[in-house]
Amino acid sequence: MNTKFKNIISETLKQSKSNYKEIRIEESLSTRINYNGDKRENISINSQLGGSVRSMANGGWGFSSFNDINKAPEKMKESIELAKYNTNPSFEIYKNNPVKVEIKPVIKKDPRSIKLKDKINLLDHYKDIILSQSSIKGCEIVYGDTERKVIFSDSEGNEIEQNFIHVILRIAANSSDGNELLQSGFSIGSLGDFSIVENLDKDVLGCAKKAQNLIKAPKVSGKETTVILDQILAGVFVHEAFGHLSEADNVDENDRLKEILKLGTKFGNDDLNITDGGKIPELRGSYDYDDEGTPSTKTPLIREGVLVGRLHSKETASKMSEKVTGNARAISFAYPPIVRMTNTIIENGKSTKEDIIKDTKDGLYVKNWYGGMTEHEMFTFSSAETYRIKNGEIKETLRPVKLSGNLFTTLKNIDGIANDLEINQGGGCGKGGQMPLPVSNGSPHIRINKCLVSSG
Amino acid sequence: MDKIDNFLNKNFDEYEIYQEKSEYKSISFESNNLKEISVKQSQGFAVRAKKDSKITFSSSSNYDLKKFQSHFLELSNYSIDTKINFPSKSKGANTNIFNKEDFNISNNYFIDKLKKEIDSILKKFPNALCDAGFNLAIGEINLTNSNNLSLNIDESLVSFFISAQIINGNDMLNIYKYDTSVSNITEEKISSMTESLKEDLSIAQKISSTPKKGCPVVFTPHGLYQTILSPLLVSFSGTNLSKKLSSLCDREGEKIFDKNITLYDDPHIDLSPSSRNYDGEGIPTKKNVLIQDGKFINGIYDLKTANESGKDTTGSAGRSLHSNPSPSTSNIVMQNGENDFLKIIKNIDEGILVDHLLGAGQGNELSGDFSANISLGYKIEKGKIVGRVKNTMISGNAFKALSEIEEISSNTESVYRSLFLPFLQTNNIEISS
Repeated sequence: MNTKFKNIISETLKQSKSNYKEIRIEESLSTRINYNGDKRENISINSQLGGSVRSMANGGWGFSSFNDINKAPEKMKESIELAKYNTNPSFEIYKNNPVKVEIKPVIKKDPRSIKLKDKINLLDHYKDIILSQSSIKGCEIVYGDTERKVIFSDSEGNEIEQNFIHVILRIAANSSDGNELLQSGFSIGSLGDFSIVENLDKDVLGCAKKAQNLIKAPKVSGKETTVILDQILAGVFVHEAFGHLSEADNVDENDRLKEILKLGTKFGNDDLNITDGGKIPELRGSYDYDDEGTPSTKTPLIREGVLVGRLHSKETASKMSEKVTGNARAISFAYPPIVRMTNTIIENGKSTKEDIIKDTKDGLYVKNWYGGMTEHEMFTFSSAETYRIKNGEIKETLRPVKLSGNLFTTLKNIDGIANDLEINQGGGCGKGGQMPLPVSNGSPHIRINKCLVSSG
Repeated sequence: MDKIDNFLNKNFDEYEIYQEKSEYKSISFESNNLKEISVKQSQGFAVRAKKDSKITFSSSSNYDLKKFQSHFLELSNYSIDTKINFPSKSKGANTNIFNKEDFNISNNYFIDKLKKEIDSILKKFPNALCDAGFNLAIGEINLTNSNNLSLNIDESLVSFFISAQIINGNDMLNIYKYDTSVSNITEEKISSMTESLKEDLSIAQKISSTPKKGCPVVFTPHGLYQTILSPLLVSFSGTNLSKKLSSLCDREGEKIFDKNITLYDDPHIDLSPSSRNYDGEGIPTKKNVLIQDGKFINGIYDLKTANESGKDTTGSAGRSLHSNPSPSTSNIVMQNGENDFLKIIKNIDEGILVDHLLGAGQGNELSGDFSANISLGYKIEKGKIVGRVKNTMISGNAFKALSEIEEISSNTESVYRSLFLPFLQTNNIEISS
């Protein structure tokens, strides 16, 4: 570790004798390239440096963040003073065996080794593919790569330096017949691998074609119907419909929710298995230690339809007397860690995609995502592509739809799970003003036999 | 920053330096108890520089100027064509957007206030779980450019929220109230928000039957913003007008909406944190009429999008540290109508009142289409609000919804203190459940 950082950290952790205290220092450098309409609109390099300190007293937290890291020791004093305002019952914070480690970034094809010029040429090429198609009004391309160094240290003796390299790309094509404007797009991402944004000619052309096809596609009228979700949209579904309620900070101080979400409660059919884990390697939600210094794990959430686990920070695990899972994450040094998902997955079932479709008389095949949100037991998510299914066959293209449901009924309505698990890394999750946090979602094709849809 | 000035002077024709410094404090209660007090200090700068009619942008919060300069020069090889010129200084309005003192009010004052409001809810609803908090911010923006513009802008913000959750069986009811101002929010205002939250809780605990398709739909000011105005304003943005992606493109003066619709952007409302005397590029702000008596009047432009559209900037450049300026609204005001809200619902035999939506804004907003689950909405029966509706979605199109209005209320409310809107009843909304 850089000696300057090391000195600041040791000086900061010396301050006072409050129960528990920690410091994070973060350095990042990101490149962004954006296209809108028919041209490159922006290219920028942003560099950031900052830190934060957090301390606990009287069963609550004091937190202070700053850009000037030399002020860390005095900020620690401030956070200790702030924590003293709490008057909650105190809780014992979970202690792991302290470690001193430096984790190197996952690198397959390093985006930092690619010249800015080559990145621009590649994106220019994708833009040209889209604009060369008829009825296309423009494109939207957002490319970003970020290198991030996060140093964590606490009064328990942890000294953890982690390094990450993220690559993201969203490409969308806008089409119009002169009246309405329509859009089709896709998002991808990786940990340390620039090659995921290369060789996408076919996908980019496909995206333009899909946007063209939407012009003539009819809208769906709102109703309850059977839907088959592709791997990407089913991944968004598991994140929204179930993932957020498995975050223990929703539950730890809510007695009624504790009852509803009691481990052992049946939420789905016997073939439903859901897992989350930062320890699943080399995905955008992967890491060795979370932002409280807890080692990442792989946490079974649902096994054979039964709730068997949930996601924890040190605080929530202690309050609920359950094991820590290493899910305390902060989007940057400027925010305190809160309980978040990492890589959330519906495990493979026994059916096949073909069987599930063949077995569906009347319904919708919904693919790819546009967005998703959760509010307590309710959730909505939206498809980017929709097709009619009639008598076991995929038929014409329809306009995108919004799907909505309720945790308590919709998971039980999953009546088909295929064996073609795929993971999408193009998403970012938002919670408590911290967005977009890198996560990945995965699933095989699934069928939900009753789901409320309306024209998206 | 003198070093940066010298570097920019040497290498570019024209430049602009934007610096931002801010402090935040948040005091938050979760599940009825104080959870965390946090403070934040942030600072950084961003530079735009022009050479040979091409512009380069970059930002930094680490003040490593040597690295910044080398990145900036590399980026300038791929700079973007531009026709804008950085403005020289002209006089802006004098709207009150700053109160220094309230940032220093003691933590105990806010803690006591939050406790008192939560206790008042728990007294009536002992099984409720409340979250509540105050957020305070104070900021200083410094904007200079090579055309002798030099602006120092001080801003402040206080916001308050309170929410209560009640779980009955598998039904989770959550109601949320929020307000914000440039200075501290008055005790009366806070008490009235808590009272209105309690009233909402009483009525919303009763779940009503599903509304029938095609029944009248009334939007609260918040519901109107979330459902209709939010997708609509996307089409007024200079970003989409300049790219000809907006269906309003080249239609100035055309009657597109109901003749009772008048909508404008007013940056000069005292004490609103969304007000501004200068925009993010240093242009003095002014009132900007978007819709007058149903006619489309003007879009929302910054220098770049105005130039590309052949218009004048409307002084609407919004800005955050790490991104280029882009058009943004300040305070959106919709002209009110004739009848009081209570009189409007009095005439409805069966209908719904839409207040909060889940999943709004996640579709094809440029077309004006919307679709969402009603996360808080009420059933109207025989002229009265009788309970809450559940598992119901609405969908429609913002342009169509505003092309034929049934009613606009005489009373308006502020939504997040940056939108001042009436209740509105319209047709063409599809209900599914």
